[in-house]
Amino acid sequence: MTATKPEHEIVISQFLGEIVREPGNELSLPGGLPGFEHIQTLLPVEIPVHRPLVFLQSTSCPDVCFVCLPVSSIVSNYQIRISEDDRAVLDLDPDRELVMGEDILCLALLAPLPGSVRTNLDAPIIINLRNYRCAQVLLAVTNGTRRLTDDGSWDLIC
Amino acid sequence: MLVLRRRVGEAILLGPDIEIEVVEISRTRVKLGVRAPRTVCVTRREAAAVASENREAAALATSGGGIENIVRLLRNIPCPP
Repeated sequence: MTATKPEHEIVISQFLGEIVREPGNELSLPGGLPGFEHIQTLLPVEIPVHRPLVFLQSTSCPDVCFVCLPVSSIVSNYQIRISEDDRAVLDLDPDRELVMGEDILCLALLAPLPGSVRTNLDAPIIINLRNYRCAQVLLAVTNGTRRLTDDGSWDLIC
Repeated sequence: MLVLRRRVGEAILLGPDIEIEVVEISRTRVKLGVRAPRTVCVTRREAAAVASENREAAALATSGGGIENIVRLLRNIPCPP
């Protein structure tokens, strides 16, 4: 009997082309994102040659793809304090001191500026690494909005 | 701005279709319950500002000139360990 390969579902991205949707790799967003409440699932894509960029592609909207960076590549002393409500949304232990890279991954969304990009470090995308639940949290701690400069550093703009 | 005092369990109406009820009051926060048609967007004020930023962020992929152009912009970013 010949074994047949299960067909993987393909997600179409207007930006990245065809992406293989492997089970267990998707991020679930119980509340969507502000401005994109209808988006319940994102597919994280890393292209090795383009690291540390992470692309978050909507599985339902081919034209919605967010370009992100791990916050550690922007600021080394990134401060985060996730509220009780946000921990509940992400299904995070309410009492545990969270460790980035073990419990959670924090990504900063990049937005365009003329000739550059900016990012709001007070509104990171947080991913629970144990169950791949994802949400954008609004932090009380002020890490600020930063702009990428020509030399690769990030200047605080507000 | 219209300022009203409400106790837990009491509510205010915004027009005929929207009701905001005080669900719980703690020392520093109040929990509100909102009944509104699905067509009405209910969001925290700070989330509305982030929504606008997110729409701009979504435009980076489509208007940023493609992946190579974005990578070129970010070429000096170090890869974290």
